[in-house]
Amino acid sequence: MKLKNISVASYLTLIYLFFYIPIGVLIIYSFNQAQYSLLWHGFSWRWYQELFADQSLWLAVWHSLVLGILSSSLATMVGLFAAVCLYRYRFFGRQLLYGVLFILILSPEIVMGIALLILFSLIKMPLGFISLLMAHTTFCIPFVAVTAYSRLVSVDKYIFEAAKDLGANDWMTLTSIILPLLWPALLAGWLLSFTLSIDDVMISYFVVGPEFEILPLKIYSMVRVGIKPEINALCTVLFFITLSCIVMYQLLLRKKT
Amino acid sequence: MKQDSSFRSFSLSLVWIWLVLFALLPFALVFVAGFLSHDNDQLLSLPVTLANFFQLHHSLYLRIFEKSLWMAGLSTLVCLLLGYPFAYAIARIQSPIKHFLILLVIIPFWTSSLIRSYSLIAIVKTKGLLNTLLISLGIISHPLPILFTNTAVLIGLVYNLLPFMILPILTNVEQLDNQLIDAARDLGANRFTTLLRIILPLTMPGILAGCILVFLPAMTIFYIPDILGGAKSVLVGNLIQDQFLIAQNWPFGSAISVVLTILLALLILIYWRSTRGEEQEWP
Amino acid sequence: MKKYFFLLFGLFFCVSAQAADNILNLYSWSDVIPQSVIQQFEKETGIKVHYSTYDRNEVLYAKLRANSRVGYDVIEPSSYFVDKMRKQGMLEALDKSKISNWHFLNPVLLNPPYDPKNIYSIPYFWGVTGMFVNTHYHPANSIKKWADLWSDKYKDQLLFLDDAREAFSVGLLSLGYKINDENPAHIQQAFLQLKKILPNVKVFSSDTTVSIMIDEDAALGLSWNCDAERAKRENPQISFVYPQEGFVIWVDSFAIAKDAPHKENAYQFLNFLLRPEIAKQASLYSTYATGNLAAQKLLPENIKNDPRIYPTAAYLRKGSFQTDPSEATLALYEKYWEELKMGG
Repeated sequence: MKLKNISVASYLTLIYLFFYIPIGVLIIYSFNQAQYSLLWHGFSWRWYQELFADQSLWLAVWHSLVLGILSSSLATMVGLFAAVCLYRYRFFGRQLLYGVLFILILSPEIVMGIALLILFSLIKMPLGFISLLMAHTTFCIPFVAVTAYSRLVSVDKYIFEAAKDLGANDWMTLTSIILPLLWPALLAGWLLSFTLSIDDVMISYFVVGPEFEILPLKIYSMVRVGIKPEINALCTVLFFITLSCIVMYQLLLRKKT
Repeated sequence: MKQDSSFRSFSLSLVWIWLVLFALLPFALVFVAGFLSHDNDQLLSLPVTLANFFQLHHSLYLRIFEKSLWMAGLSTLVCLLLGYPFAYAIARIQSPIKHFLILLVIIPFWTSSLIRSYSLIAIVKTKGLLNTLLISLGIISHPLPILFTNTAVLIGLVYNLLPFMILPILTNVEQLDNQLIDAARDLGANRFTTLLRIILPLTMPGILAGCILVFLPAMTIFYIPDILGGAKSVLVGNLIQDQFLIAQNWPFGSAISVVLTILLALLILIYWRSTRGEEQEWP
Repeated sequence: MKKYFFLLFGLFFCVSAQAADNILNLYSWSDVIPQSVIQQFEKETGIKVHYSTYDRNEVLYAKLRANSRVGYDVIEPSSYFVDKMRKQGMLEALDKSKISNWHFLNPVLLNPPYDPKNIYSIPYFWGVTGMFVNTHYHPANSIKKWADLWSDKYKDQLLFLDDAREAFSVGLLSLGYKINDENPAHIQQAFLQLKKILPNVKVFSSDTTVSIMIDEDAALGLSWNCDAERAKRENPQISFVYPQEGFVIWVDSFAIAKDAPHKENAYQFLNFLLRPEIAKQASLYSTYATGNLAAQKLLPENIKNDPRIYPTAAYLRKGSFQTDPSEATLALYEKYWEELKMGG
């Protein structure tokens, strides 16, 4: 019994190390004195000083956060409805809906980006926050739908029959049965969407307007001149903020129970 | 029995309007563009032609598709082998630390993937951390040439796509009915048989979802082969990118996307049909 | 639940309510104009500047092509993209009367083949594409011509720029042809020639070039002179070489997009950028050579007299500007380039 626990724990630790060693490297290099080299050249606070003076970067971070939260939430809602519809109803165009969801996952980002750009110019929609929000929500929806669906499929069908026998209409079924059962999958979908949104480059490149700069674009466009370790400093700061929030949340939960 | 139609109509309309407008229409545009031509003045112009699709017969493009399928397939396999045990182990944890552990998987991915890829470069470079460590420990005497090879691309792909395999499997394993596993044990099945005959089939939807969410991006990602692979090969993602941006051949780029989509959809369909067990709400 | 919805709505309105007053939308390469310059401009004129960035010309071009009313005012295309965009009516013909500081520009860069009489573009940053060598591995004078790179002793050591035009320029020049040659037979010969150098190429990259040079992942190869300069600061063994057969002179020019919504502000900004003191700051910050002759004279001695950053007329005679090829030639380049990448 003990051996099994140790080997499981070791395996988990190995995988976590795999995820976090590059993060560690990222953090260490934020203190690297060198600007272009990817080898260690000595310790320096220089990049943190530059980071805290750089307003445009923080504005981009704020924009990306808001965009991520809003688009993930919207995508979770639409994705949930899509999964429920596909699971429960037989309707005209059902296969087409599957098809569209898969096409969204399958489409190369650059194709979606340019297609959306053309679409927005055809319907004369100005490019800016709204266009970005629509685009991000759209490419997140299938991820939520697939995750929610795979969970729905494992739910005992008889629960729905029982609910119907007891007189519940579909809205009540949604709120009292589906949501409580599905919320881990929805949360997973939301987290996946958020992750996709705050790092999306190709689609955002094309549908973003001139007045709304987001972080991944700012970073990506730096590659040609060389990404300054200032960005490492930014990622380090954001990483620790996120980690602290989650640890604090975890501790609060512990206190409640 | 009267179906309550308000929920049904609301949700269907919401989903349909959104997806038609922002997914179907753009894809239709792309599909149509695949049949158009282009010239010096216009990016998309008549005459309508099938030439773009026929061009794909050329051995160069077949080789590109083959290489991409190979890389994507290998990455998916590695992600599955690494991710399944991980997801299973985490999902079976009872203590409240479980959610924290799940979040720990995702947090690294809120850091820019480009920066993380640069960190990977710093690790596998000729004078990078890995080689320096191995040489100083005396395990090797010459630096391993990892950077700018297919191995580096594989590492990069697996690193960036592993959570997409872990999360769907995890949510699936979570609702495994313990009673089924106990019943199997009671009937005399050992651990291996339980895994093969009970657990794997039951978690197949999660595995499938995970494989799709890994394989598809792996086919179209372009910056990892570029910065970790030294841009020494063209994968489908790079090919499409090049057609749209550098060659300014939007019709051909669109044609490649359409063919890629159809090809992948076929693969998924075949795999589905062959693993489908009892009747489910699935086509 | 309701709490979350209110929070979301709040965030939404917070972000979508943007004031649209006196603004200028700048869309250019990343990190070329320092914040101090932008802030000075904003203070002097009261115009708010939005600085969006791209990492390659193709994105700029594709975006403006798909939707010319995207809203960018000042853009920064490179040489042959100026050519391409002016031919397709995507650039505004500049009203020189509104740019009083025009006369500070370096005459060497004026009236190039990609924009005769500079009707559409202001050459702001420039440089050349040559070779670099890490003198720790090979002596500085071991490579003098493009053709030298084909030698067997450089197996798996070369850095090649990940750019079809640049690569084919090397191929064409090594065979004695010109960089804008559109003869399909010559291009094919260049392709066959480049096939022969493939075993020597360790990495194709246009982006991580500086770190590759400094960290010695590649011992020699192609390089822009500004990149070699930056690499030299962190690894003094990097040496830049002008190839004898000739080389590409690249120019990043500022221009005004045809459907720019704030043209007057754009002219003010361009004129501001052309002030010698401002151009000097931009040059020092971005480490690119400035196209502003008056600004060049203000630079520190060790920079303005360095022939690797500011080649003298003697060096420049061998350089040429890239122009925009026809669709057919572009398709040919692309096809050969993909074949090269897939191992020929």
